[in-house]
Amino acid sequence: MTVSLRLVPPVARVSGKGQRWAEARTGGLLALPAAVYFLVFWLVPFVVAVYLSFTSYDLAGTPEWTGLDNYRRMLGDPGFWNSARVTAAYTVGSVVPSIVLGLAIAVPLSKPGRYNAFLRGLVMIPAAMPLVATSMVWSVIFAEKGLANALIGLVGAAPKPWLTDEGLALWALVIMTTWKHLGLFVIILTAGLQGLPLSVFEAAELDGAGPVRIFYRITLPLLRRTLLFVLVIAVVGAMQSFVPAFLLTKGGPAGATEVLPLYLWATGFGFERMGYASAIAMVLLVAMLLLSLVQFRVLRGGEEG
Amino acid sequence: MKVVRGTLLTLVVAVLLLPVYAMFAVSSASDATDLGGFAFDVSQLGEHVSQLFNQGDFPVYLRNSLILALGIGVLEVIFSSAAGYALAQLRFPGSGVLFALIVGTLSLSPIVVLVPMYLIVKELGWINSYQGMIVPFMMSAFGVFLVRQFALAIPHELLLSARVDGASEFRIFVRIAAPLLRPALLTLFLLQFLAQWDNLLWPLIVANDPGLWPLPVGLAQIQTEYDFSIGLVSTAALITAVPPLVLMFLLQRYYVAGLTLGGVRK
Amino acid sequence: MTMLTRRNLLRTAALATASGVLAACGADPVATVPADGVPRGKISVWLHQTKSYDAVFTPLLRKYMQEFGGVDITPLYVPVAQLDAKLLTAFAGDVPPDLFKIGGWTIPGHARKGRLAPIIPKAMGVADEKALIQDYDPHAIGSLSYEGKVYGVPIDYTICYLYYRRDRFIEAGLDPDKPPTTWEEVAEYSKRLTSADGKKVGLQWILGNPQWTLMQLLALVKGKGGGILSADAAKATLATDAGVEALRYYGSLGNAKLSNPLSGFGLFATGEAAMLVSGLFAMDLFPTLNPKLTFGKAFDIAPLPRWDGGQPVAPAYTWGWAVAKQSKLPYTAWHFVDYLQREDVAAKQLKDASLLTPVKGWEKLTGADQKALDIMAAAAPHADFGPQTPVWNEMAKSLTDAADAVAFGKKTPEQAAADFDQAMRITL
Repeated sequence: MTVSLRLVPPVARVSGKGQRWAEARTGGLLALPAAVYFLVFWLVPFVVAVYLSFTSYDLAGTPEWTGLDNYRRMLGDPGFWNSARVTAAYTVGSVVPSIVLGLAIAVPLSKPGRYNAFLRGLVMIPAAMPLVATSMVWSVIFAEKGLANALIGLVGAAPKPWLTDEGLALWALVIMTTWKHLGLFVIILTAGLQGLPLSVFEAAELDGAGPVRIFYRITLPLLRRTLLFVLVIAVVGAMQSFVPAFLLTKGGPAGATEVLPLYLWATGFGFERMGYASAIAMVLLVAMLLLSLVQFRVLRGGEEG
Repeated sequence: MKVVRGTLLTLVVAVLLLPVYAMFAVSSASDATDLGGFAFDVSQLGEHVSQLFNQGDFPVYLRNSLILALGIGVLEVIFSSAAGYALAQLRFPGSGVLFALIVGTLSLSPIVVLVPMYLIVKELGWINSYQGMIVPFMMSAFGVFLVRQFALAIPHELLLSARVDGASEFRIFVRIAAPLLRPALLTLFLLQFLAQWDNLLWPLIVANDPGLWPLPVGLAQIQTEYDFSIGLVSTAALITAVPPLVLMFLLQRYYVAGLTLGGVRK
Repeated sequence: MTMLTRRNLLRTAALATASGVLAACGADPVATVPADGVPRGKISVWLHQTKSYDAVFTPLLRKYMQEFGGVDITPLYVPVAQLDAKLLTAFAGDVPPDLFKIGGWTIPGHARKGRLAPIIPKAMGVADEKALIQDYDPHAIGSLSYEGKVYGVPIDYTICYLYYRRDRFIEAGLDPDKPPTTWEEVAEYSKRLTSADGKKVGLQWILGNPQWTLMQLLALVKGKGGGILSADAAKATLATDAGVEALRYYGSLGNAKLSNPLSGFGLFATGEAAMLVSGLFAMDLFPTLNPKLTFGKAFDIAPLPRWDGGQPVAPAYTWGWAVAKQSKLPYTAWHFVDYLQREDVAAKQLKDASLLTPVKGWEKLTGADQKALDIMAAAAPHADFGPQTPVWNEMAKSLTDAADAVAFGKKTPEQAAADFDQAMRITL
């Protein structure tokens, strides 16, 4: 967080006391609703969740202080470790392909032309599709005679039990989320690509550099900040992903898709152990903050270099 | 080369759109054994649509979803633009703390704040009301963050000259900054609309009156009511997907530009 | 008679005595009972609803409000998958509905947390709890009690059946009028019903679903003389010969990788599965999933098998009406419930919505298929609601993890049973 704060470069301002006062007053007024909102609806619940993580609270009566018990329990809880593993696999498995695929589509799609503009419009359609509403359709798509099997059948592959194979189910969810988010990533990346200075590319071409070389030596480094923006959204989204597993697999088969947010849900609202669920949420929070920190550090490196 | 690239791209986009087509196909399924294949039966689909609109509360759910998604979208745009602009361009006490708080909430699991949030909404007397469903989601950390990144890109000289001309700080925000922020704000509006259009848990927990239910809750109820009528449930899902699609096409021009600046300017 | 049944009877008797004593002591919330016995006030009801149940419930609700003008009832139909989450948040916020319909298996958990108001005999037109219990099937209402107190009345009661596809039996050269009666026979039949590629199977379990996993395994474990939890529900006892054998058998049937959006129900509807363990409601369900499935022609039912030479076990569940402790009008709530539980209503409910309310003498209700009712009546003395524990959700989830792990070949039965017992050691 402190790192991200330093992202704001101090800008020269009109000096003078009256001006400072006017700025402070307007700034304060404009930010006041946000301050109240985040205090009431996020900071207070957050503090409550931190407190609950040190208690035993079964959604009835008053929470009972148990110190570090919940955190100790987590260490020996195979369910938690399974979920941590699944979440890690899911995050890597969904972030890497969606960014690679996103780039692979965005690079040719960013070239000017009416047809490309038309395709750019179509690519966003999945992003507008509600997931909760369409979860039933997805279970049909992944069924024996569904679309997924029809597609792999085109390349001669035998039908697969997507949602009922422990090895495949997580990937079925990855396909579903990648489908949903790919369009957004493509649009962001396309926009980033279109913002790059043309002169650099022209110079490289004059030097006789091939398209592959240009991509690795020029496009990627220049696109780094946009890529990191996509990365941050993708990682946060993947680590908090709850809806696909909640609706499609309920964590099955045999725990293969029990991502941490789902385990958290089952612990809090299924088993009514809100204290323990809060502790799990805190661990997830710290993991995400650490990851963000790393990402922001790389991002800053990009600004300095 | 160009032709190959164009064909490949077209193919990729076509594959991306196949699940959308699958939704049509499933919506016309007559029963649970009729799920394979890609035959598309228009009359069956039409029957489902008229069933949805003529009986039950489907139109009510649709109306409520519009109220929630539009309401939250508009509030988000107003308040996130104000806060994002202030954080980017104005010096005021506590701005650092506020920004840290906002960024920090990005990593907080929404599930674990569900119960505390419910208690707060209850204390406010907002259980079973539109404001109880709207206000807790009227802003987002992502929104403030996006607007702030965008507002950082506003040329400082522009604000400076307005100040020299004697314009008030508030007027500068409304007349100069806000129009410049328009692409980012419309992008934000679209993303918030899409997110709220798909929000199941919070409205389900807060609203105790079906007259207040939005589509995701209503769809879950239709699924319960009609047991396993897959075709009907999918048709409802299909209709649910239409308003976000329309909105997306209307705003297309803007969200591309909005994301450009948000993404590059970091 | 089995141990199990004796214990059930003993429990019911103990419960009846205890409640009698309590009633004599005047422990009932007398203050909440109006002197004139007339219900009034505004109450809220949360329940899940199907089209056919709505057709019975809504007219009744209207009629009740006409008859008792002082009462105003607001019903809320909650999607069944989200009912628990909504109820829990409402309880945490201290604003639960007055009356709600919940799975009987969750009653001990809610009761232990002090969320439920015990029944008020006077509102139900009986002298005491004992008399109320006598108005119902003793096992069914017994399952809705906790520490000797009745917290709910049963509705939507069912005992597991063996569903089988007659057409698949004929195809495989099996006599469709002679369904298997033992688990050994089920295994044998399944072998003959399974296709070479494994895409068509005999018996298919309903996998990944805590409630069905519990009932399926209960039949196997109890039939072997074991138990999932000890009699006092204080510790898990799956890592025994009976438990391990049951898990081994569980893993040996069906094909865990068969997939359908509606799990086992869907597989049975398509014919991929030739046998399925399910409840009374599935009689109506299958023809809606596949119009070609006519009862008695394409598919049929049989009593749930037992182990060769073993005792019969009849896994059962029931939903129940319960009243929140926080309700200011428990008398009105229970009074309305009593109105819903009359025998003529039970008959109509069975006929129109296929929901069996286990009022006393339910065996003679008309409206359901006679064969279905006869099978259930014969099994009723062995009805087993599984372990009654306040941590039911956690137990059933751990059990599902164990059973799925065996079905998917991820763990040996021994390992899975030991892991379940270990997990329960932390939970219980």
